[in-house]
Amino acid sequence: MRVLFFAQLQDVTGCPTAELAIAERLTLEQLWSALIEIFPALQAYRSTVRLACNWEYAGPETFFNDEDEVALIPPVSGG
Amino acid sequence: MEIEIHLTKSPIPARMTTSALGQAGAWLEFSGMVRDEENGQPISALEYEAYEEMAVREIRRLLESLAIKYPCLAARVIHRFGVVPIGETAIYVCVAARHRQEAIALLAEFMDRLKQDVPVWKRRALPIEPPGSAEKKSYAFRTTTQGHGANPSVSLDEAMDKIRSVCQALPNIRVPLFAALGQTLRETVCATGDLPSHDLSTRDGYAILVSDSTKTFRIVDTIYAADWKPRSLQIGEAVRVATGATLPCPKLRVVMQEDVERTGEFITVLKEDLAGNIRHCGEEMKTGQTILEAGLRLDAGKLALLAAAGCTHPLVTPRLNVTHFTTGDEIIPPDQTPKPGQVRDSNSILVRGLLQPFVNDLEQIHLPENFEAAWARLDLSRIEETDLLLISGGSSVGDLDFTLPLLERLGYEIVFAKVNIRPGKPLIFGVNGARVAFGLPGNPLAHFVCLNFAVAAAIARLQGGAPPTFLRGPLATSLADDPCPRETLWPARVQRTTESTQLQPLPWASSGDVSSMASANALLRVPPNTTALDAGAEVEYLPVMGMQEALI
Repeated sequence: MRVLFFAQLQDVTGCPTAELAIAERLTLEQLWSALIEIFPALQAYRSTVRLACNWEYAGPETFFNDEDEVALIPPVSGG
Repeated sequence: MEIEIHLTKSPIPARMTTSALGQAGAWLEFSGMVRDEENGQPISALEYEAYEEMAVREIRRLLESLAIKYPCLAARVIHRFGVVPIGETAIYVCVAARHRQEAIALLAEFMDRLKQDVPVWKRRALPIEPPGSAEKKSYAFRTTTQGHGANPSVSLDEAMDKIRSVCQALPNIRVPLFAALGQTLRETVCATGDLPSHDLSTRDGYAILVSDSTKTFRIVDTIYAADWKPRSLQIGEAVRVATGATLPCPKLRVVMQEDVERTGEFITVLKEDLAGNIRHCGEEMKTGQTILEAGLRLDAGKLALLAAAGCTHPLVTPRLNVTHFTTGDEIIPPDQTPKPGQVRDSNSILVRGLLQPFVNDLEQIHLPENFEAAWARLDLSRIEETDLLLISGGSSVGDLDFTLPLLERLGYEIVFAKVNIRPGKPLIFGVNGARVAFGLPGNPLAHFVCLNFAVAAAIARLQGGAPPTFLRGPLATSLADDPCPRETLWPARVQRTTESTQLQPLPWASSGDVSSMASANALLRVPPNTTALDAGAEVEYLPVMGMQEALI
């Protein structure tokens, strides 16, 4: 699974992308736990950051598979 | 509703030209501009970041949902990202509708919701730079070539300096352990827990209190390696433990099973053992202790240490995406028999072999000599993703006639196009943002030399390391040379023993030689106009790629 970090999250994790190997599909909660285990500093951003799966915002019903592209979307500020 | 969406790094034209829409009674355009201040501070520009694929999808989704509420005829959205100077447009939206009310309503709601959902960020505000500072940027020497006659020629040292300053380190990446083998660690890893996390028995035996001098003990429990059974022990109590078992509490020692006699649930100690037979908690590493320093190359043993410490995703150097073009119609695959005038391709496998430890993805393509035919073969989207582009010239193609226009059409700025060395003079180096390219001479030995000094330096920089440097050592035998006004990079074999280093120059006659490559592990640097160097003379040498660690 390719995980992309945007904006200030790149400073938090120290990298723009990470490769994550997952054995089975994960729920949103499980993926957050896995990410926080690798990047404990993400914990502080969990309440404000949305996850996207394959270019769409993920919800509680989303499952994440190993071949998915996942992005962590902090509050946006375009326009 | 017709929808058109673009994300671009280029300036957005002040007004879009459009084909007139006869049905539209309203044509509404909005440009969001970068102002001269951000949060009260004067700025020169804003830098935007975008998650491009998703931003396009979100904008489309948003427009489609708004079109149900406000039926309009067409919408076009262009969002710029990268650095946008003040006074320039960051977002352009254009809406066509039958009447103005729905166009205005759609635009207003679109802009509100764009700022909630579309993954684009103002990454940072660029402050106003003091006058004169702009000239100091590292791009100052990137003179654009004015026709091919004006290509800059540089010395070996200048070439190395330019490669060093132009190539910028790619962002480091976190990868699973299996993908980290051979990569350089880019963070210092500290233990997040004690190792072992508890006292462990190193023997099959019986755990008793350290302070217990009783001879006969009652066995109160049994603990195997995978068990976790915390409990306290009293005087006269023992716990049967297996090798590797986690002891049930601190301050114990283990008596080996060979040293006791067991009768039912009781043991009698026959022989006192002074060793505790315990691996103590934190004996190998303590919480917070540095276990691996940043900068180390990760071999299998270091990966195992990281695994034991629970560091599953180390921050490492990125591997590079490389595209390699070979050119020259006389070049044939190695499994074919050359006709007169043809030559087998030895350059492709050389590139693959030398670059293998540094590469994420390497694609090798043979291009036809005809420029337009070659251009038609290119996958431009792949080149956009290519960190390092290599073009090996065929000797029948003028490198300057093929590689330079190709690199320029691909948007590379030429930093230098000749280096005053032999072999390898027609070496071209270009840069396009964070991406770099080399045009390499196709003659095998020249190709080998250029890969080992120039491409090796670029790879080291792109991976955030220091470029290889020349070392010094004595010649094992004398070296006789035709005087040449250029510096020579001479293939050599470095023999190292614990006492000494000896540099053995290898015979070579022309830049087309392939035999010396099979023995060379270094390049000697022979000064211009050298006719002879005696055995024992000190010369500079550069280890070939992959040999740096072994020869330093």
